[in-house]
Amino acid sequence: MIKAFVLLIFLFLYAPIVYVVASSFLDNGELTTKWFSKLFEDRVVINSFYNSLSLALLATLFSVIFGTLAAYAFLRTNMRLESLFYTPIVIPEITEALSLLLFYKIVSFPLGFYSVLIGHIAFNIAFVFVIVKARLSTHLKLVEEASLTLGANEIQTFFRVTVPMAMPGIVAGSLIAFTLSWDNFVKTVFTTGPGFQTLPLLIWSQAARGVVSPSLNALTTLMLLTSFILAYLYVRISIRRE
Amino acid sequence: MKRLLAFPSLIYLLVFFYIPFLIVLLYSLDFPNLTLKYYFEILDSLYLKVFINSLVLAVVTTVLCLVLAYPVAYYIALKAGKWKNFLLILVILPFWISFLLRTYAIMTLLNPLGLMFTFTAVVLGMVYDYLPFMILPLYASLERLSKSQIEVSYVLGAKPSETFLRVTLPLSKPGIVAGIILVFTPALGEFVVPVMLGGTYATIGTVTWDLFLRYHNWWKGSALSMLYIAIVLIAIILYIRRSGRIEL
Repeated sequence: MIKAFVLLIFLFLYAPIVYVVASSFLDNGELTTKWFSKLFEDRVVINSFYNSLSLALLATLFSVIFGTLAAYAFLRTNMRLESLFYTPIVIPEITEALSLLLFYKIVSFPLGFYSVLIGHIAFNIAFVFVIVKARLSTHLKLVEEASLTLGANEIQTFFRVTVPMAMPGIVAGSLIAFTLSWDNFVKTVFTTGPGFQTLPLLIWSQAARGVVSPSLNALTTLMLLTSFILAYLYVRISIRRE
Repeated sequence: MKRLLAFPSLIYLLVFFYIPFLIVLLYSLDFPNLTLKYYFEILDSLYLKVFINSLVLAVVTTVLCLVLAYPVAYYIALKAGKWKNFLLILVILPFWISFLLRTYAIMTLLNPLGLMFTFTAVVLGMVYDYLPFMILPLYASLERLSKSQIEVSYVLGAKPSETFLRVTLPLSKPGIVAGIILVFTPALGEFVVPVMLGGTYATIGTVTWDLFLRYHNWWKGSALSMLYIAIVLIAIILYIRRSGRIEL
């Protein structure tokens, strides 16, 4: 009995996703890729895709640098300040989004690509910090000291001991940071200005009116595919580490 | 020396997270006048209805999630055998997809069913989005509960129902509390689901959205979100007091 129930729940969780993906390949019951080719001809879609991609890449780059350095700094010291990194994760996203909007209004920062990027980095730093810190080996400091004792200088130690040992954490953090930015909606919609649109905003602008369309299904399929690939890479890295 | 490496992040968060947060607080108090009038304004009957709406939606969502998630978590943790890892991945995968996309996915199914813009649609969408957030902490606490504890209960003569009520359920309490917090607090401020599937169902989330992005009423909007944060923080502090830490 419980087996049937569990099966039903998973059906409930995955039926909508399967339905979206399936209908993006169908036209009146026939297999087609025309919704996707239509998508790639649409200038608005291409533009939003480019925006989403550059936003996610830059947000990942900066948040991984900042977050990793901080995780490294807090590795052995349990400073009080550490809890400052956890608040952005606990605070509801909508609150963070609107506080940034007010901040931009007060300092009259122009809303657009950069205002969105800054917000994404702030949020991602917290996640990268937590993930990298959890994965940085506690032996790292010992191995570093060994390397220094054996005659390597600080720079050699950093590039040949510290970075390789921190790599799994950095990759895991990057994957999560990229996903968070790639399909972020709430923070983007609050901090964006006229002229800057990402793929989630595009989906929202149509779907919020209750509109379901084949090309929107195709776009959602592409976004889902990206998330699945990133999740798969993440699992692969985690398993190899264990 | 190495501690300095934390400073870029700390300064970044200070400027782009903590200071904006302070600004919201000041706006809600109508700085520099420092009055509570915006708090009183959002406690009037119109907004009270919004709070009740949000509360009803969040409670219904949380209860349904708990009832639906418990058997699933129980099955994965204790009965799934070789399927365990696969099922666990199926639970974690939705965490990688934003609410917007998943809500759109369930919208495509609700549309032909003619359920759009009803309370049922909103609840279905909420449960759909939040269910993994309940399954995962429940799974984590049930997984820690060893099978031998259950077996001991059987050996000592307890019936399956007694074993469940007096051994399994009490031991999974940390997971239940974590799941409730993870679902209830964000569900209270949710606005993607009500807007996309509910049309005019007003919640704290949709009203915050309107106040900020439509009416540009920063003051009232700030007061509303400060109240929301207060509720969230109280929930989290209560939980940390009880369990000593946040666990997933």
